[in-house]
Amino acid sequence: MMAVCQNLLDNFPGRMRLLESRSANEIYASLDTADLQEVTRSLLTQHGARLVTVFAEDRVNVEGAFYNYYVFERRGDPAYLILRAAIAPEQPRFPSLAVELPGVNWQEREIQDWFGLEAAGHPNPRRVALHDNWPDVHPLRKDFALHQVLPPFEGEQHEYRPTLGEGVFQVPVGPVHAGIIEPGHFNFAVAGEPILYLQLRMFYTHKGTEKLFEHLPIHRAVFLAESISGDSSFSHGTAFCQAIERAADIEVPFRARVMRTILLELERIYNHVADIGAIATDVGFVVANAHAGSLRESVVTLNEELTGSRLLRGCVCVGGVRRDWTRRQRETLETTLGLVEHGFGELVALVKSSDSTRDRLQRTGYLHPDKAKALGIVGVGGRASGVDLDARRDHPYAAYDCLDFRVPVYTDGDVLHRMQVRIDEVRESIGMIRAALAHLPDGPHRAPAQDIPAGRCALGVVEGWRGEIIHWVRTAPGNRLERCKIKDPSVNNWPALVEAVEDNIIADFPVINKSFNLSYSGTDR
Amino acid sequence: MMEAALQALLQLMLLLAVAPLVSGFIKKLKARLQTRRGPGLFQPYRDLYKLLRKGMVIPGTASWLFTATPYFVFLTAILAGLMIPMVSAEAPLALFGGVLAVVYLLGLGRFMTALAGLDTGSSFGGLGSSREMTISALAEPAMMLAIFTVAIGANSTSLAEIVKAAVGQQWHFLAPSQMLAFAALFLVLIAETGRIPVDNPATHLELTMIHEAMILEYSGPYLALIEWGGAIKQLLLMMLLINCFWPFGLEAGWSAPGVVTGLVYLLLKLAALSCAIVLVETTNAKMRLFRVPELLAVAFTLGALALASTFLF
Repeated sequence: MMAVCQNLLDNFPGRMRLLESRSANEIYASLDTADLQEVTRSLLTQHGARLVTVFAEDRVNVEGAFYNYYVFERRGDPAYLILRAAIAPEQPRFPSLAVELPGVNWQEREIQDWFGLEAAGHPNPRRVALHDNWPDVHPLRKDFALHQVLPPFEGEQHEYRPTLGEGVFQVPVGPVHAGIIEPGHFNFAVAGEPILYLQLRMFYTHKGTEKLFEHLPIHRAVFLAESISGDSSFSHGTAFCQAIERAADIEVPFRARVMRTILLELERIYNHVADIGAIATDVGFVVANAHAGSLRESVVTLNEELTGSRLLRGCVCVGGVRRDWTRRQRETLETTLGLVEHGFGELVALVKSSDSTRDRLQRTGYLHPDKAKALGIVGVGGRASGVDLDARRDHPYAAYDCLDFRVPVYTDGDVLHRMQVRIDEVRESIGMIRAALAHLPDGPHRAPAQDIPAGRCALGVVEGWRGEIIHWVRTAPGNRLERCKIKDPSVNNWPALVEAVEDNIIADFPVINKSFNLSYSGTDR
Repeated sequence: MMEAALQALLQLMLLLAVAPLVSGFIKKLKARLQTRRGPGLFQPYRDLYKLLRKGMVIPGTASWLFTATPYFVFLTAILAGLMIPMVSAEAPLALFGGVLAVVYLLGLGRFMTALAGLDTGSSFGGLGSSREMTISALAEPAMMLAIFTVAIGANSTSLAEIVKAAVGQQWHFLAPSQMLAFAALFLVLIAETGRIPVDNPATHLELTMIHEAMILEYSGPYLALIEWGGAIKQLLLMMLLINCFWPFGLEAGWSAPGVVTGLVYLLLKLAALSCAIVLVETTNAKMRLFRVPELLAVAFTLGALALASTFLF
């Protein structure tokens, strides 16, 4: 990545500047907003890079400008290139990349809503993160007080693209749904049963999480990170802690890294197993769900045994993990793992034995690899559509560099293969836990607590069970944070759902949705 | 006259009482096969009791159709139920061509439900109504063909005559025509009662529903009437199958011991048929919506073959 950066510096002499980097894996450079589109194009086409995320930061009080950050990665290169573009407060505007990179559509609009910086040339510059009836405020600016009380909102309703044509109907679903799921609005245009197009509206559970991070001491912010998305507690918590550890140069003991690896994989297993059951339920094959449910139960019981929390909360901490395992806990892990492997084999055999289930899943919700790539899809949905990304392999963290594992990638892109990716990953995870457990080193389970130096920036990346989770922090004096950007994989993947349901019948929507199983809370933050 | 009224009253009571039990039995059995404990056998009675005491929410856009439909559903089911021999080879009612009236009484109930689904203006109701009509338009001919097969055997469309004819020749259901007709009617039973692989009665996913989508707006006593009517309809379709094809234990006439034996046999046969339904539901996933017509085409073909083979064998 350094060579790529050098090449850019040579091609844009005097207009790009290398910034101080604390870690070999994060290269910071500044550029002018005017060059942004050209530099991005050159990175994407000439260097085969991928734009990972876009986010902004309010540095007006300190440095007199807003900053936009563009994070890039390249296949086979563990380093990230982070480009910083300064935006003057008098001219709160930056060129939009959304026309060429539809994947940043929502992320750029978040910047518009939260920071009041206009994405010039955005094809659809309407509100996204703050709904249309919000007053004209920008909550992530530093001059917006955390506890500011706004008057009751009034204003425009969101306008959906109209459904026109004879026999074409609009089917609004949500934001309140049947069952225990979070809110989101799905607006279908249907001609009879086939779906013409789907419009999504999210951010009903926007909680101002990123703002809240700026007001918590770091040791408490870990708990906030764990609650970003309830089913990815440990992944989000770990991503956050890794960012802090990198910022403060904390060396995490190897034992703690191995323990984190095991817990990350347990989180993957319990979620994947539950998803396989849920996909079966959505096509009416309830027996498989009963088996998956009992299997998930044994995994979350194991979680409780290991950490005191069924959903692995309160376990990760800056510098390692909070508690070490006793010999008995390790033995329980080993025995339960054997049972889970056996039960999982039976579950997979049961699902595969059902031709009627296969008939429902095959070719349903097809996402073309080209579309997946263009939209920047990550995680399970991406790997089923040929997007070969996995942070565990590409940017190794915890103890993944010591483990041997396969990243399943398919190009079929249907519900069946999104399930197959999960099946393969559970098998890999079981193998990884077993290998990690066999080589669990002795030593401390956490680094000694220390003060976090101020003014440091760092990324924390974890491949959660949904996909790539990114936290970016800038530390502040007194063990606090200046800014914490959270990117849940769901932000990238919701638009994929829109593509995947096209030309399917509306009765198949629930199972297509379930095959992605995206987080509302993680998207809305 | 008095006697006829008593017979009708007895069958009415049995219909009202047994129908929720059959639903409860099927649910319990399904739960056991899914390794769950499941609700108690008598949960449907408790649900009905609860619903009957609750208040109702009626959509502002609903017309008289919405309020009339629960009565139509409930009354057509009862009326049809009285025309099918239950615990004796006789039926208390015999109107307008017997079995044909049964088919069209059920059709009327379904028609009203579909209208009520559209009436509220909710998008789910509309989806449900259009799906229900598509499926019933295909299920009805299959049902008619299968029924004609047994009617030809008895030379009558009166259900009492059909059952009596069957009682007269106990093992007649093993004849090819009868077996084909049974298979056709079994498929129709699954489609008409909204069971997997056609519809999923236990789903919460509105977009996949057929029957449930039409009645989503109902609550309280109206919902109780529709649920109870639905249970009676399921029971009478099952009675149609078991008493036309397995007439064991039925006597012509209404003697007290005969009725008791008939009831015991009825419950046993219902249990056996429920097991068959549950096995189909448990071992299959729901079909793609657009493949349901193929299943009903199979039912239709079976019915047509059954009818043709009555003339051959």
